[in-house]
Amino acid sequence: MNMTQLRISIQSVKNVAIRELRRLVAKPLYIFCMLVAPLFCMVFFLSLMKEGLPVDLPIAVVDLDNSSTSRSLIRQLNAFEQTEVAMQTMSFTDARIAMQKGEVYGIFYIPERFAADATTGKQPRLSFYTNGSYLIAGSLLFKDMKTISVLAGGSVGLKTGTAKGLTEAQIKGQLQPIVVDTHSIGNPWLNYSVYLNNILIPGILQLMIFLVTVFSIGSEIKFATSQEWLRLGNNSVLVSLAGKLLPHTLIFTLVGLLACSLLYGFNAFPLQSGWMPMVANIFLLVLASQAVGVFMIGVLPTLRLGLSFASLFGMITFSIVGLSFPVSEMHPTLQALANLFPLRHYFLIYVDQALNGRELIYCWGHYVALMAFMILPFLIARNLKHALLYFKYIP
Amino acid sequence: MKPEFRLQNIIKEGLNDTFLIWKSELKNVFADTGVMIFFFLVPFIYPLLYAFIYNNELVREAKMVVVDQSNSSLSRKYVRMIDATADVKVVGACADMEEAKRMLDTKQAYGILLVPSDFSKDLHAGRQTTVSLYSDMSSLLFYKAFLLSATEASFELGKEVRMHNNPVSTEKLEQITVNPIPYESVTLFNTQNGFASFLVPAILILVIQQTLVLGIGMLGGTAREKNRFHTLVPVSKHFNGTLRIVFGKSLAYLVLYILVCGWTLVVVPKLFGLPQLASPFTLTMFILPYLFACIFFAITLSGFMVSRESPMMIFVFTSVFLLFISGISWPMHSIPSFWKATGYLFPSTPGVQGFVRINTMGATLNEVAAEYKLLWVQTGFYFLTSCLVYRFQIIRSRRLVHQQYQYMKAKHKTK
Repeated sequence: MNMTQLRISIQSVKNVAIRELRRLVAKPLYIFCMLVAPLFCMVFFLSLMKEGLPVDLPIAVVDLDNSSTSRSLIRQLNAFEQTEVAMQTMSFTDARIAMQKGEVYGIFYIPERFAADATTGKQPRLSFYTNGSYLIAGSLLFKDMKTISVLAGGSVGLKTGTAKGLTEAQIKGQLQPIVVDTHSIGNPWLNYSVYLNNILIPGILQLMIFLVTVFSIGSEIKFATSQEWLRLGNNSVLVSLAGKLLPHTLIFTLVGLLACSLLYGFNAFPLQSGWMPMVANIFLLVLASQAVGVFMIGVLPTLRLGLSFASLFGMITFSIVGLSFPVSEMHPTLQALANLFPLRHYFLIYVDQALNGRELIYCWGHYVALMAFMILPFLIARNLKHALLYFKYIP
Repeated sequence: MKPEFRLQNIIKEGLNDTFLIWKSELKNVFADTGVMIFFFLVPFIYPLLYAFIYNNELVREAKMVVVDQSNSSLSRKYVRMIDATADVKVVGACADMEEAKRMLDTKQAYGILLVPSDFSKDLHAGRQTTVSLYSDMSSLLFYKAFLLSATEASFELGKEVRMHNNPVSTEKLEQITVNPIPYESVTLFNTQNGFASFLVPAILILVIQQTLVLGIGMLGGTAREKNRFHTLVPVSKHFNGTLRIVFGKSLAYLVLYILVCGWTLVVVPKLFGLPQLASPFTLTMFILPYLFACIFFAITLSGFMVSRESPMMIFVFTSVFLLFISGISWPMHSIPSFWKATGYLFPSTPGVQGFVRINTMGATLNEVAAEYKLLWVQTGFYFLTSCLVYRFQIIRSRRLVHQQYQYMKAKHKTK
């Protein structure tokens, strides 16, 4: 390609980009999908989880003992940040019904004659029940109720032990010989906002990029403006695409950077390797998602089918990315399929760079993978051009 | 009185028109592949896909490496006990923490267990010892698996060590000194804390609302695109009353979605062995107002859809938002009150809450009374808004027809 041709191509890209900017501003739908929806989700998810962990989860206590010991136990349980004793009752059935009503997520059961039995060595048994259908609430309450049960045993053990003349160290060695000290690397607070929002928000961005890319190309076909678009792009589908998608890239990158600044700046979430790796990550996610979007409408040039594909793919991402349920535990087919989702690579880069601060060498492959998505438009270019020229939209 | 103003005739004509609209709406649905995708394909495939993704329910054999500085028979036994649990698999031993961290860097393992050098010495001397567990936080389920296994093994080995250190006269006496207050923990309803059993029921309910919103929105958008006056209502004498349109159309969706619900809410949970404690009567009684509320909600929204595709652009992303606001993963009690109030606008919020309690926890209508009432309130409210939407569209379309008529007449005269 000589210099004049290059100059003409650049001019064409510019012309198409200007045309596209006019189209974007003219349709409120674009403004909604490119700005309103992602911003809304950022505000929603970050404010929903601003505490990091759910606090004051209600439980019911069935205290059949009603002694000073049991009451003190309940007070200590209530003092935990995650637990709130919202109900005290003498009937287990009442507590269970409260659980079915969704009023409590856990039940702590103190048997009759608990205090008396404990001091006389009759080994009374504490029981606690958590609701497995609310996984997060259940596991947080499990932790608190277990801690209090261990502490209760500890304090009784301490009393009987000192009575026998044992030292505190000896008693500890008796009660709990092996202590497990846990370190959750990168997220020591087990903060759910860190855990989820780092991926949910870019996930929404990816979904909106799929939809907007498919929509902006598909509606050219639907409203029969695609030939005009191609002409402006010098009859080259790649030049036309470049010009059309450039304004999108710019806007979505800005939205992505805003997300980064909210996550790592405003909320100060872990960012072990500094800004650059994540800025590059979000930029490549934008480009890769656009490329996938082009591919979708290239394969299914009917607007509604292209959009259905984009919706399905975009929504399934949230599950297959392996955030809540690890990919390694899924069916092998799904493990392979997960690589087809840009967000999956974004997620693995995030884990290495932002969360753990690992060397670049461990995740450069995923940067390459994100770049590799950009081959997709070239693969589908012929098909797409054919659709732009000859495809007749059938409603 | 003219016969067409007699109540009896109005009702009769209304019923006839309702039936006609019902039939024509069903035809619309089956003639439109886009709508068919949302009404049938998505509700059919999505639940299967999600159940397939989460089918394993639990993390099994999470990979862990061990840095055993004690290197004693006791420490080796401890590691073996952890390896023997279902949740964790010990994939290797490392000389030091540096090497172990590299295993995490290369994803050959997701957790490190550090056994201190005086592990065995402390235990034999009856002193408490501390092992350190490091977990990669890319998934909380790994962390949970490591923690549970290490705790379980510590408890078991601790018991053996105590027996060995303290040969007390009777076993009972031994139990009392080492374990004065035993405890037991029980997980109710989703007994194995499975991931599918926790999340999939909520997704199933959400799929019903979202596909209705998308499908009915698409029908509305299409009607407007096709209609020469860009209104929702065709110019026809049968489409001349708000109630008959709203009843006729919603009846069509209801008939289709009774089938869809049978698949998503009864067959899918059975296929994937999800908890299913619901009595058929309770479930039916609960799902009925949910369907009504969703249908009228969707009809209301469809009034604002000007093109065929806009529903997808606008509503698809809300599924993530609606799942979180429904209070299943993020507990309802911890949702800020502003968002909680927002959640009550959507049928999916009481729908998910109620369905999970009925289906997973065996609640009856008594226990979900609040959600049940809310669904009926939503049904009433969105029924009214649906009627308003169509009333407005009928008036608009009549006015446009009238304008067109006047225009034609004027043109005719000037000729």
